[in-house]
Amino acid sequence: MLSRIADSLFWLARYIERAEDTARILDVNYHMLLERSQDSYHLRWEPLLVMSGEENLFRRLYSEATAENVFEFLAFRPNNPSSIVQCIGKARENARTIRDYISREMWEDINGLYHMVMRFNPRDEIVAGPHRFCDKIKFGTHRFHGVTDATLPHDEGWQFLRIGWSLERAEMTSRLVDVQYQKLLDELPTVGTPDNHQWMAVLRSVGAFEAYHRQYHSSIEPEKVAGMLILHSQHPRSIRFSTTEVQSGLRAISGSVPGSYANEAERLAGKVVERLSYDKIEEIFKHGLHTYLNELSAMFSLIGSDIARTYFYYAVVA
Amino acid sequence: METAPAHAIIPGLFSGYETGAFYDEMFSAPGQPRRPYAKVFQRLASLAPEQFEERRKLADLSFLIQGITFTVYSDGRGTERLFPFDLIPRILPNSEWLRIDRGLTQRVRALNLFLQDIYGEQCILRDRKLSRSLVYSCPHFYREMVGIQVPRGIFTHICGIDLVRDSKSGEFYVLEDNVRTPSGISYVLENRLVMTRIFPDAFHASEVLPLDHYPAELCRILRSLSPRGGDDAQIVLLSPGIYNSAYFEHSFLARQMGIELVEGRDLIVDGGIVYMKTIRGLKRVDVIYRRIDDEFLDPLAFRPDSLLGVPGLMGAYRSGNVALANAVGNGVADDKAIYAYVPEFIRYYLGEEPILRTVETYVCAKPADLAFVLEHLSELVVKTVGESGGYGMLIGPTADRHTLEQFRNRITQNPRNYIAQPVIPLSRVPSYDVPSRRLAGRHVDLRPYCLYDGEKVTIVPGGLTRVALKRGSLVVNSSQGGGSKDTWVLRGEG
Repeated sequence: MLSRIADSLFWLARYIERAEDTARILDVNYHMLLERSQDSYHLRWEPLLVMSGEENLFRRLYSEATAENVFEFLAFRPNNPSSIVQCIGKARENARTIRDYISREMWEDINGLYHMVMRFNPRDEIVAGPHRFCDKIKFGTHRFHGVTDATLPHDEGWQFLRIGWSLERAEMTSRLVDVQYQKLLDELPTVGTPDNHQWMAVLRSVGAFEAYHRQYHSSIEPEKVAGMLILHSQHPRSIRFSTTEVQSGLRAISGSVPGSYANEAERLAGKVVERLSYDKIEEIFKHGLHTYLNELSAMFSLIGSDIARTYFYYAVVA
Repeated sequence: METAPAHAIIPGLFSGYETGAFYDEMFSAPGQPRRPYAKVFQRLASLAPEQFEERRKLADLSFLIQGITFTVYSDGRGTERLFPFDLIPRILPNSEWLRIDRGLTQRVRALNLFLQDIYGEQCILRDRKLSRSLVYSCPHFYREMVGIQVPRGIFTHICGIDLVRDSKSGEFYVLEDNVRTPSGISYVLENRLVMTRIFPDAFHASEVLPLDHYPAELCRILRSLSPRGGDDAQIVLLSPGIYNSAYFEHSFLARQMGIELVEGRDLIVDGGIVYMKTIRGLKRVDVIYRRIDDEFLDPLAFRPDSLLGVPGLMGAYRSGNVALANAVGNGVADDKAIYAYVPEFIRYYLGEEPILRTVETYVCAKPADLAFVLEHLSELVVKTVGESGGYGMLIGPTADRHTLEQFRNRITQNPRNYIAQPVIPLSRVPSYDVPSRRLAGRHVDLRPYCLYDGEKVTIVPGGLTRVALKRGSLVVNSSQGGGSKDTWVLRGEG
């Protein structure tokens, strides 16, 4: 397989995942915030901006973090490289360069998604609120996963897609937990019972609300929520599960057996998986949740650049 | 009124339809369909305009979702446009097609022999059938190619020869030989697919010859060129990338043939061998179906500013380590001044009389022709010899005085760069006029795609019918507002 194609598959998957994650977080937070009092309303939008990694850009473009501004920025703004519309556009651009490789169904699906997204009028959507838009995005990206799974041979190209979306997901979940937890510590309720709405929103945004209840049969406890999102072995959006997916994808490409590694990316992925497999949430909190997640994030970006060095941009010795 | 207007007879889509002063391919007289069109006509006449409009939207949507678009660069950044598809098929009876097929086969063989000769022994120049200066002044004649043994002696693996039907005689004429990197075959195959989905009934009733064997035949030919032989030849399609207007076609063909689509940056030449960069290191490439123009292929041999090509590729080609299709230097054969001599090539190389007619051509490089052209400028079509795609053209009868003067000056300054031809009144086929929601006669041409394996020429029945969708327009190029139609060659006479 051409290095360029592997590269495009990897990024195609990452952009699709980024669009979906942003849509999920936007949708859930928006509706949670509607139920809150006016004064906390503005404050609560900050975490979303931090998570998107484009907080500074937002400050340059808008004077205030209102619901409308944040929604416009994260969903539509053309000069926000991480806006949903931009991510879908870039995913399509990557797909277009590898049309000969991906299945016809995949291309038509992602091209259709792009045209659908372009037909949305930001003005109308801002009035209507993000649910309608975000729901379409989620539906579209889910369909993309389904079409891909059903029409593309699960060969090494498929593995690059799998690595792409899993790595992106691991990073996003890690950022989500980190940002929400920080925020929560800053605003510990002064009166009454702990406010669980924010954590419910976190669970909902990764689609783990029901799974949480099935597992714990208890009320929402921040530590358990964090534990689930970081360490759960089977939930498809937990950091552990996603990292294991990255590792499996890398092994499928190189043919390495457990206990060995063929390149730096595999070695690092193996280290992270092992850590996530044997750590307990109590230990993580003792270590410091923020520190722990920061260490993971650093590893994820190293894994990304090592994959590129191994498979996409290796030096050719002539 | 001399003849009854068609709308007196046919309701619906055809109401108000006029055959006009042109050869109408569907009607021999108002309201009288020709035999090959009889079934399609009946079907269309029974369709309410609303039903037709519905199907048209369906077809458009299908093209949009499939991303069957081309890119235009008028506004600085490329915009994707649909290549308009007209749902009314263009139909040829079998006997007429067979004659075209024979004529094109003859022409492709002659063009290939000419290229072998001109880059080899140059007998035609020694025998003074063609002037040395005309060949050497051709911008696409490459001295670098002289003496190179191309694999299996094939230069013209793929030709897209443009034909037009003259309204006066009703006969087909060759208008242009495109023997460099002709495009459009993907539209032929996609148009057919959409047609069978949207009008399955009409399609079935008419018994249309299939054309989906094109990619397999092309792939067979490419494989046969491999310098290492064997069935496991590594074949790639070299594309300039997604910003090229024909990128859709490149990816389409690569997918249909199951070969790798590469860009210049995916390839590297080392020790005279071409490799592609894969996730498992370098892999040798044997055959390149290139969709990049000669001058961009190799910055070491041609334009040094080309970022699309592969440094050292010409060296590998010259050493016979890689095959290119089409060959380099083919542009000398489809130079518009050389075109005038192709009938002579057919006689000289094959000892046969040309089956298809060519348009009378005034080569401005000849003093007598030049004088005639300057005198009759407002009656002629003037073309720049090296251009294609409808660019650099003057249509005398419709040009204003200023444009005529401009061309007069340019021709006088550089006669070798121009040829002139009489205006051919192109035949028309009923086509859907979106604003009026009715059918109207629109001018068409035909580009069949010819594949040459060194022995036989394979032409998929039909080809690309391009249609000038603007009322009165004679220019069918997609860059100038043209669209396309599905072309049907019938199993019989209809």
